[in-house]
Amino acid sequence: MGEGGLEAHATTMNRTSVIALVIFVAVVGYLVSFNTDATRNLQAAVYQMLSPFLSTGSGLQKQITSVRTGLKSLEDLERENQGLRVENRALRATNQALRDVEHEVNRLRGALAYRERSAFKLVPAEVVTRDSSTWWRTVTINRGKDDKIEPDMPVVTDEGVIGKTTTVSKNISVVLLVSDENCKVAASVEGTREQGIVSGERVGGGMTPALNLNYLSKQANLQPGQKAVTSGVGGVFPVGLSVGTVRNFKVRELDGQAQLIPAVDLAKLEDVFVVTGRK
Amino acid sequence: MILFVILLVLVVIAQVVEFFIPPVAWMFNAHVYIVPVIVFYGAAALPFPLMLGLSFFAGFLLDILTVQVIGAKVEIALGWSILLYAVLAAIMHGLRPLFIRGRWEAHCILTGVCTSLILLAQYLMIAFRRGSLVFNREVWWQIGGPGLLAMLMAPLLFFILHFIGRATAYSYVVDRNRFE
Repeated sequence: MGEGGLEAHATTMNRTSVIALVIFVAVVGYLVSFNTDATRNLQAAVYQMLSPFLSTGSGLQKQITSVRTGLKSLEDLERENQGLRVENRALRATNQALRDVEHEVNRLRGALAYRERSAFKLVPAEVVTRDSSTWWRTVTINRGKDDKIEPDMPVVTDEGVIGKTTTVSKNISVVLLVSDENCKVAASVEGTREQGIVSGERVGGGMTPALNLNYLSKQANLQPGQKAVTSGVGGVFPVGLSVGTVRNFKVRELDGQAQLIPAVDLAKLEDVFVVTGRK
Repeated sequence: MILFVILLVLVVIAQVVEFFIPPVAWMFNAHVYIVPVIVFYGAAALPFPLMLGLSFFAGFLLDILTVQVIGAKVEIALGWSILLYAVLAAIMHGLRPLFIRGRWEAHCILTGVCTSLILLAQYLMIAFRRGSLVFNREVWWQIGGPGLLAMLMAPLLFFILHFIGRATAYSYVVDRNRFE
């Protein structure tokens, strides 16, 4: 290419680049101006488009995990065997004591099935993906608008609260876990008049982080083992759902803070329920 | 152009795969990010307008799939990750002559650094929104860990992508003649 040709080509390239840059800036500017609803709708649409891939990926992941957990080393098997022997002896001992309880449980189970016992309408859902980003603790579940799920609905298991829905598309939803700093849950401590706000930590703890119950009175003096349940304040989480158990309590400059062990093991979430309303 | 389309498809696949890669426990649960490696390869291999297109697409996906809309607020507005990707990819693009000459070292190292910079920028935006800036060991690992992993992945992924580029008859040499 001659010198003149190169110059002409460079000018053309510059022009193309400038046009691309202008279009880029305009589109990004337009996206930045999106309000919350528009962002949520766009997010729901993209999740919906990707939902077949996410569901397939989830199925594959489960298969791979089951194969991997099935392959245990001899040492693991021996350790497991020893553990099972000890567990077996303990179970034999407790078995006798539980016979009376079993009779009562059978009687109650007949009368009260879980969903009937619950005061809420529950939509069962399966966890598709978990903890996909660094700064937010979320899972996605395989239920959405088609199942009458909306943003800000509580998500629970039979053990307690796990979080609330944020973005909801047709048949997939994002759940913000209770361990996220942004998921605030109003809670009270059983056996006391103490109320506070539970939230997670920004980083740390992996998938089984501690929760913080903030804004308690300095005189609360909570003891390890006391249970924290939702207080119903705020309108998202209904009253009486288990949030966690007190691990320790400390007095800060302005308030008291308790650290909680989550009621639900957030690392092992598989089947959850979305609370869609009261019965 | 074929390479550009392939990179777009790979970005989508990588983004979905990232959902299923568990965090690295011994790195304080640092996440594995594959998309930045693909984008920064594209930044070095593609011409400027296509580099912008790839950055736009990857940033858009990152924003839309990870950013949380909580109540009436969005912590990182849609578009910020696109800008981050574009700025960092432009830096990478500036070193394109080296890349075309087959000197990938700087690009592999920069891929790691830029991945961490994206996370650092996200963290600063979140910290600003939440009103407190906490920098402890775990935060540094969450920022630096993915960068380190991206840096380690980069040579292999670059090699594979380069192979794909060659297979699609993407002419790096012709590009060099155009730009130099």
